[in-house]
Amino acid sequence: MDEVDLLILGAGPAGMAAAAEAAGAGLVVALLDEQARPGGQIYRDVTAVPPARAAILGPEYRAGRPLAEGLADPRIRHIPGATAWKIDPDRTIAYSVDGKAALIRGRRLLIASGALERPVPIPGWTLPGVMTAGAAQILLKQSGILPRRAVIAGSGPLLYLIAAQMVRAGTPPLALVETQTRGDLLAALPHLPGAIRGWRSMAKGLGWIAELKRAGVPRHRGARDLAVDGAGRAEALALTAGGRRRTIPCETVLLHEGVVPNIQATRLLGLPHRWDQAQRCFVPRHDRWGETPLPGIHVAGDGAGIGGALVAELSGRLVGLCAAAALGRLDPVERDRRAAPLFRTLARERAVRPFLDAAYPPGPQTLSPADGTIVCRCEEVTAGEIRRHARLGCKGPNQAKAFGRAGMGPCQGRFCGLAVTAILAEANGQSPDETGYFRIRPPIKPVTLAEIAAMAPTGPDKDSA
Amino acid sequence: MTHFSARSLLKNALSGHKDWPAQWPESQPKAEYDVVIVGAGGHGLGAAYYLASQHGITNVAVIDKGWLGGGNTGRNTTIIRSNYLYDESARLYDHALDLWDNLSQELNYNVMYSRRGVMMLAHSVHDEQSFQRHIHSNRLNGVDNCWLTPAEAKAFCPPLDITARRRFPVVGAALQRRAGTARHDAVAWGYARGAAARGVDIIQNCPVTAIRRGPDGAVTGVETAKGFIRAKKVAVSAAGSTSVVLQSAGLRMPLESYPLQALVSEPVKPCFPCVVMSNTVHAYISQSDKGELVIGSGTDQYVSYSQRGGLPLIEHTVAAICEVFPMFRRMRMLRKWGGIVDVTPDRSPILGKLPVKGLYVNCGWGTGGFKATPGAGHLLAWTVAKDEPHPINAPFTLERFTTGRLIDEAAAAAVAH
Ligand SMILES: Cc1cc2nc3c(=O)[nH]c(=O)nc-3n(C[C@H](O)[C@H](O)[C@H](O)COP(=O)(O)OP(=O)(O)OC[C@H]3O[C@@H](n4cnc5c(N)ncnc54)[C@H](O)[C@@H]3O)c2cc1C
Repeated sequence: MDEVDLLILGAGPAGMAAAAEAAGAGLVVALLDEQARPGGQIYRDVTAVPPARAAILGPEYRAGRPLAEGLADPRIRHIPGATAWKIDPDRTIAYSVDGKAALIRGRRLLIASGALERPVPIPGWTLPGVMTAGAAQILLKQSGILPRRAVIAGSGPLLYLIAAQMVRAGTPPLALVETQTRGDLLAALPHLPGAIRGWRSMAKGLGWIAELKRAGVPRHRGARDLAVDGAGRAEALALTAGGRRRTIPCETVLLHEGVVPNIQATRLLGLPHRWDQAQRCFVPRHDRWGETPLPGIHVAGDGAGIGGALVAELSGRLVGLCAAAALGRLDPVERDRRAAPLFRTLARERAVRPFLDAAYPPGPQTLSPADGTIVCRCEEVTAGEIRRHARLGCKGPNQAKAFGRAGMGPCQGRFCGLAVTAILAEANGQSPDETGYFRIRPPIKPVTLAEIAAMAPTGPDKDSA
Repeated sequence: MTHFSARSLLKNALSGHKDWPAQWPESQPKAEYDVVIVGAGGHGLGAAYYLASQHGITNVAVIDKGWLGGGNTGRNTTIIRSNYLYDESARLYDHALDLWDNLSQELNYNVMYSRRGVMMLAHSVHDEQSFQRHIHSNRLNGVDNCWLTPAEAKAFCPPLDITARRRFPVVGAALQRRAGTARHDAVAWGYARGAAARGVDIIQNCPVTAIRRGPDGAVTGVETAKGFIRAKKVAVSAAGSTSVVLQSAGLRMPLESYPLQALVSEPVKPCFPCVVMSNTVHAYISQSDKGELVIGSGTDQYVSYSQRGGLPLIEHTVAAICEVFPMFRRMRMLRKWGGIVDVTPDRSPILGKLPVKGLYVNCGWGTGGFKATPGAGHLLAWTVAKDEPHPINAPFTLERFTTGRLIDEAAAAAVAH
């Protein structure tokens, strides 16, 4: 088995920054990522993107280039195309590259597997032609493909960014449908001082909104009861806004209700999580160095709580420093000296979050979908069925598996997990923490039997029980 | 209790299945019961059901630390068979098989018992000789089991590769046709529903923390997360946790708890008509009604209470499956899980009275107690009600580990099932 000083899962800003910082202190680092190139979601393919596309994607995208180029350090082994499917508390990861499985172990482990877009279960969301806005952005970054005649709907700052990128690319969305309300904005006002401290992010957001306005993209705010209509594929988005039901004909519906930490890996490790009411998601517990209650295992970036690219980068650097000190390559005093400015910038960058979280909460349909809406796509379980499980005595998601198979398909609840927890919590009058989350089992991504078989040492084991 | 019938199904289908009532009420513990059963797995719930239905004892509580059926009952690979070697075991497991036959009707709840046949592969002359011995001994005990040639085995299970070039060639197989599978959750639910309808309290999410004994040594009740519950009779049916629970009553049990793992593939169309086990290469496989291949692995080599288990075992099992069924190589594994199984030195269960007045145990089913669920429940209920064992479970005492009258099923139970 391979062994390195710091093993990192996820080559986004957090993972890349941690790798650079640790390698700078002399650590041998391995960086695993499912994608062929470093960058993560935000800086996806940043080292290979043609200049015209980079211009569309804007300066906040191009800012990732130096980070990705930093991986050239000979002490960093970047293992691209690697799907991690089993992660153990002894800091071993089983992963596959091109259908070949292997094991690698780190003396320290960083889980920097980022965020997932929060799934948006509205009626019709399983129709062809409906995807998340982030998926559309991936198509743009990686392949230069743009959706035509698309409506973009949901809430959150990223919605504006993606819409602005579509405008720059010459295919503006037909409409921008926002689920947040004026009430949400009012609720966010007490957090305004923080927003002012984080004025840089705020200015960026306002710039995107202005871009959309200049391009004449119609905006519908406070939208309710979203539904995708269509026979066999998406043909229109229906919504209620300003007291009026309307239907916007389109070919593509791009949904986005913010991002949430991808907790498959940290749940698989059995780490404790807590419900973050402001962000309406589970977050793994960790200290200020990203260290979790499992010794030597860290989290950083959006996977540790949504903070955005800059926060991810800073938190990754802190893990790099902490790992170097823990392994005796960096004097603790020096660690703290280098960390001090990082903590300061981190506090500034995080200051804007409470405002954004309050101003852009996920729409009510995301965590409490209507009875008829499919929540678990793999097993086709509706919200109504999950409420029926609760009436029959089902208290939590793991019991719901036995009742109706929610979360038992190939995605293991990546799509439905938060909604199932929220629906059961609401139906049983319990908190999400009491309700809990799916127990995540290996493999977190399906692997073929042949790949696993190839790992076995030859010869049968005769003395089994 | 709602009666399930063509009529009630149709009626509820017309109202969109929205009006089914809860199948068992959520109970809070009373201060005292005639009998407390620790562990709401299939075995514990079955015992409660038979206490109520056959012995008229209904002031009973079944207490579980989690939800009912959430232990090994909900984690196992559901293989049901009775072709064990020794007379005592053959009687024990065949008694259960007889009860399986009629269980759905008895409980008015479809437990999906499917007699699809369990085929055990022989890969060597040694295997063949040992299987033939099993077959003869089974037949003498009236248990069905027959020998198949490789071609017959292939006809019974077409995905099987019987070509001689394999590292583990198939030289034949032992087939028990009455054997098969059932839906594990439904067994727990069916018993829970039947027991609750007869007045049994099922208390979930309530760990039993200790068993209390009076000055005379007899059992007085159990300490739980919801307070002390008085009972003169306590039956422990807690699978992997049995030794921990009984320790509080001052008993040391000859049990070792191991993680046992299983896995499923992505679902595919029906392609696998039976259950196949291979002791030599250590794997067993069947196809669920959903279409997933259900693959069972072995116990870890070391004892532990962690419900996970090591990857090398899975590697080994999957390698064996790919060897015997090459057509499954490209299927993908969706997830694996584990349960804690309680294993005795002779691989046979302990079912009977304990040397403490009012204390009974049903444990040690190890890797293969699902198949015994109705039988174990029935015999435990009998033993508790009459304060003496039924003739079928009389040999399965705790004392056999001091007298030496072991029932050594290590060969029949060599593979986890
Ligand atoms: C992966 C796997 C595959 C298997 N495959 C097969 C198979 O193919 N065929 C077969 O026949 N058998 C199989 N088995 C074995 C079978 O599952 C068990 O023997 C059987 O289910 C035991 O039933 P039970 O009711 O005794 O145990 P369980 O269902 O485990 O019930 C015990 C209950 O006790 C509760 N409990 C424990 N401690 C406490 C406490 N302190 N307070 C309150 N409650 C407590 C637990 O929560 C649990 O619900 C398999 C087991 C595993 C793990």
